[in-house]
Amino acid sequence: MFTLYKTWHPIASPFDPCKPILEKTFSTPPNLYIGFQPPNLPQFSPQEALRAGTLWKAFYDPYFNPFELAKGGNPR
Amino acid sequence: MKQIPPEYYQIMEQLQAVDFVLVELTLYLDTHPDDLEAIKQFNHYVKERKTVKKAFESQFGPLMQYGHSYSGHPWNWNEPPWPWQV
Repeated sequence: MFTLYKTWHPIASPFDPCKPILEKTFSTPPNLYIGFQPPNLPQFSPQEALRAGTLWKAFYDPYFNPFELAKGGNPR
Repeated sequence: MKQIPPEYYQIMEQLQAVDFVLVELTLYLDTHPDDLEAIKQFNHYVKERKTVKKAFESQFGPLMQYGHSYSGHPWNWNEPPWPWQV
């Protein structure tokens, strides 16, 4: 299975003037991994789909940036 | 119609939900032309959209113009609320 978020660790040089950021996250939505959509995927109900932003459960990717952690966090 | 009644928002949300499903299915069917299940679902929601639109327009007036909606009497397509006032 794939994960919706990936992280990498930038190089922190001892000569960095500012405090180094040790881990950075980037979003990898499901459509990268699913490719050509197979038929008859499970679906949301219309009302849920309107909120979720997609009709098919497989493509649901609630992107919360790190600053929105309070809103629902960063599903890893 | 000074204040907008809550039913306006409920029916409008139903209409938006059905419209969203239709948009998603349209995009899906563009790349899957022979998916019968999706086409059946699409036609089902086209029919449902007609009923939701009928319910909305019978209560709150026409949604679109130039023949896409029936008109009330007197000519009321320019009655408030407009989309930005909703």
